[in-house]
Amino acid sequence: MSLVNFTAREITCKIVYYGPGRSGKTTNLQYIFGRVPETRRGRMVSLATHGDRTLFFDFLPIDLGSISGFATRFQLYTVPGQSYYNATRKLVLQGADGVVFVADSQARRFEDNLESLQNLQENLLDQGVDVRQLPVVFQYNKQDLPADLVLNREELDDALNFRGVQCFTADALHGSGVFETLKGISELVLRKLAVGGVAE
Amino acid sequence: MRVLESWVGAPLERFLDESAARLVLLMTTSGQVVAQHGFTRSVDVMSAAALGAAIMASTAELARIMGSPRFGVLVHQGAEQGMLLSGFDTPRGRWIGLVVFGPDTSVGLVQLFFQQFAEEIGAAAPPAEPHGPVLAENFEHDLNASLRALFGR
Repeated sequence: MSLVNFTAREITCKIVYYGPGRSGKTTNLQYIFGRVPETRRGRMVSLATHGDRTLFFDFLPIDLGSISGFATRFQLYTVPGQSYYNATRKLVLQGADGVVFVADSQARRFEDNLESLQNLQENLLDQGVDVRQLPVVFQYNKQDLPADLVLNREELDDALNFRGVQCFTADALHGSGVFETLKGISELVLRKLAVGGVAE
Repeated sequence: MRVLESWVGAPLERFLDESAARLVLLMTTSGQVVAQHGFTRSVDVMSAAALGAAIMASTAELARIMGSPRFGVLVHQGAEQGMLLSGFDTPRGRWIGLVVFGPDTSVGLVQLFFQQFAEEIGAAAPPAEPHGPVLAENFEHDLNASLRALFGR
């Protein structure tokens, strides 16, 4: 849950990028790392295998600046997508204030997306979190691939977005949609702080 | 030294004096920073907290798989400095301490004083106070401006 320091007027929120393996979660963070000025971000920590697959998580802290008079920081995490890393996915998901579900738009990854989404819901439920109460947005990544290889936004919405939450098409490798996705989840997470009370 | 809640300050100062620790970081189990001493950049503090919480979480999971009670303390001893990681319960939930110390003290002393510190924190914590909305209703304007500045748009 968000940490709010009323004395120093600071807010820290945790956002987790979730999705199947190789859907582009780390690529989102790498793009953000490359675009955000050094003074406004920390080091990107990547606990990865020799093959650059995420083993535990990637972590990128960014400093958003002042929002309504509160110095606001976001901690961006990714989870390992491969199915056998579920124990570590659960650990990273603990205390998340919002989730970006990064789906791979390729038609051949359709089942992987469904499996990962189901896994997200199960892991949240294990932690006593109702997915309907948690800010979630979808990112349909790899939309730059040839049209005959990928599903379009409507098809992916039909398959994954049962609750009709915000969704964004993206080409995270080149940055398209990355900013919009981060903006979307940021608004939802901060909206909870604008309408709901928190414990100090 | 920076503390999220003022009642942490006095016990933490005592711990620093007694243990001669170089760096101290207190965090929640999800890696949120509660207090710190010795770090210079806030973003580095967040990285250290994320990694410290991850070590404790993965060790607890290993203990569970092995059918053991969770490990209370982990120590990494290097040539010039050591690091102690320890979880403890507070009325505000479970917290984790990450303490870095040099050759001017010992792991035994650091562990002893940290245990005392954890007990003090448990006793000093006041009940959590509920607050109303934190942000103004029209926070989106600030958020959009901040994100545009971050991404150079």
